[in-house]
Parts: sequence; structure tokens; C-alpha cells
Amino acid sequence: MDVRDKAWYPILYMFVITLCLSTVLILFGSITRQRVKDNERIAYERAVIEALPIDLPRRVSPAQIHKLFIRSVHDATVSSAGALRYIKGDSLIAYALPLEGPGFWAAIKGVIGIAADTRTITGISFYEQNETPGLGGEIVKSEFTAQFVGKRISETSNPVEIRAVSADLDEASVHAITGATQTSTRLGKFMNEQLARWREQVTRER
Amino acid sequence: MMPQKKTQDVVLTAVWGDNPVFRQILGICSALAVTNLVLNTVVMGAAVIFTTALSGLTVSLLRKWTPRVIRMMIEVLIIAFYVILFDQALKAYWPDMSRNLGPYVGLIITNCIIMGRAEAFANANPPLLSFVDGFFSGLGYTIVLCCVAVVRELFGMGSLLGMPVPFFSSVLWDRWIIMVMPPGAFFTLALIVWLARTIQVDREPKKGGVT
Repeated sequence: MDVRDKAWYPILYMFVITLCLSTVLILFGSITRQRVKDNERIAYERAVIEALPIDLPRRVSPAQIHKLFIRSVHDATVSSAGALRYIKGDSLIAYALPLEGPGFWAAIKGVIGIAADTRTITGISFYEQNETPGLGGEIVKSEFTAQFVGKRISETSNPVEIRAVSADLDEASVHAITGATQTSTRLGKFMNEQLARWREQVTRER
Repeated sequence: MMPQKKTQDVVLTAVWGDNPVFRQILGICSALAVTNLVLNTVVMGAAVIFTTALSGLTVSLLRKWTPRVIRMMIEVLIIAFYVILFDQALKAYWPDMSRNLGPYVGLIITNCIIMGRAEAFANANPPLLSFVDGFFSGLGYTIVLCCVAVVRELFGMGSLLGMPVPFFSSVLWDRWIIMVMPPGAFFTLALIVWLARTIQVDREPKKGGVT
């Protein structure tokens, strides 16, 4: 009788193949693990820098981003209410508040920069999102993010409103993305919740 | 499927005669999902070519030892192996693209073209020929997807490979939002299938006519 007709042969065969393929994957995974981690870290640091009033050259290496981040961005303190602090010389220039919440498809993670007056927005940047390319995915484009620069967080109502493209804007509102109502609404919801909480905390601490 | 075939026949069948997308209507899910930007489509196509070619080769190499009762499990295992390899490489060396494609690279595992080629071809043909068949089936898929993507990105966003195209990116062109959304892929894909099949039907009677 051929060994292949034995009842245990398929089990052993499956086991051996799985073992071989998994070994290769685990090896490759362990080689690239550090790189993947570094990439994620750099994407985050880059978003923080983009949200702050820091000039970033068009072509910049990961190492440069990391150096810039280490030099200018300082950890959160009680008085910054959980936001990172951008310090130049001895003076506090701005805060960088990480934002995170559900988008249309998956979580959106970003950073919003707020000047030392705790009211003027210095920028916003997203480092993780899975929105539809060309629609919700446009939140990462400068056409959308540039709108935030210079806006003033409202002291009473929603900090920054995302309004329909047809609506008029004031100093605390920006235009949504056409065709991406869900992304815009959800982003607006968690951004405002988190900004409102921060606004309250930072006012109390000051 | 005949056990032995000439390489040239295999190539032509895979890319044109039995093109996975417009002839076999396989792999449509990803054809709809990743075709609104040409660059994403090209990388997705490369991932599919990589997987179909190498999984074809591996399935064929192991075909004499693989017990028939568990052959499909083995095929899925091999396919998943190559897809994860590609996904990890993308995460490590091209993180921006990995973020763009999101879950779709992982979903190649369930792309019916790859399983289809493993079952229909690699199981019964020598390794090199299976590699060629897989490579060109993947290429046939990529070409169709690129056609869809060019139409969608141009009409929907006024750009190609992220670069603005004159006229389409100007105010004269009102961007077709529907092209960016899933229905745009349905319309475009249907038009391309229609076009390709019309050309094929015109030619078929000369070869003896098979429908």
C-alpha cells in the first residue's frame, strides 16, 4: 500500500507544509518588525509636526522628521490637558492634541495643532485612515486640512464645525468634503467631542 | 483542461481568450474596490501577479505529493503565505502604499482567480508552465483593472497617477463624483467587458466558433 493512502498521511502532510510556510513567515516578520514599527512611529511624528507651525521641507527623510520631533515636541503635562507641547527656546508656541475616532470604514487617527492662546488652530494632519480614496480619503489632502489653519476654536458651541459645502463659513467652521458626508460627519463628531473636552480641561488648569 | 500546452497558448489564453475578468468574470470584488486610483491599481495588480505566479509554481511542485482530499486546504495555505509575504513587505518598505490599499492586499487570499488557476491549471501541469499561466492570468487581471482605473481616475478626479491632466483638471471639467464611488466601477467594468467581448465574438467564427 502506498504511503499516500494511509489515513495519517494527509494530517502529517498538512502539518509539515504549515510548519514550513509559517517558519518562513515568522522569520520574515521578525526581520521587518522593527521597520514596520518605525514607519508607524514616523507617520505619527510627521503628523504632529505638520499640525504645528513648523516648516517642513517638501522632501524630508524619516531621520530628519524624528530629529525635529525629538528637538521641538515635548510630552504632555497636566496643564496642557493631554496635548503635546511645541517649545521653541523657552516659550510654549503651540499644543498638539492627538485625535482618534471612528470614520466611515475604520478608525481615523490624527493630530490637531492649537496655538499657545488655546484658541487659534495651527493645523491638522491625519496619519491613519481607511476612508474611500477620492472621497473620504480626501481628508488627508491639503485642500481640506489647510482650511483649519487660523480658525478660532469657538468658546461656547462646537469648537470647529464642519459644514456642508453650500453653507457660509465663520471663524470657527470649515467646509466638508463633497460626496463624503459620512466621513465628514463622523470626523466632526469625535473631533468636536475631544476638542471640547480639551478646551474645558485646559481652561480649568490655566 | 489538457495536461500539456504550449507556453504561447497559455499566455494568450490567460491574457485574452480566457481573461479572468472579462471572460471568466472572476476577481470582480477587488476590481471594484481598488480601481479609483491608477497607482493603487498597479500595486494591487503586482500583488496578484506575484501571488498567482508563485502559488501556481508551488502548487504544481507539490502536486504529486498532495493528497487529493486536502488539496484545496493546501492551495489556500500556499496562497495565504504569498499574500502575507507581500503585505508584510509593503508594510515595511512602502508604508504609504500599504496604508492606501488598506485591507485589500490581505483580501487577495480570497480572490477567486488565484484559487481558480491553482485548481484548474497548476494541479495538472508542470511547475514552469504553471508559473507562466499564473503570471499571465495575473497580468490579464491587472490590464483590465488598469483600464477601469484610468477611466475612473481621469473622469472622477481629473488626474492620472496623481498628476493633473490638462482640461480634465481645469474648471471646464465637472468631476464625475460617481466615477470615484463604487457605481462608477460597475459602469466602467461593464463597458470594458462589453467592448472586449464584442471584439472576441467578431473574431471567434474564424477559429471555428466556440461560445
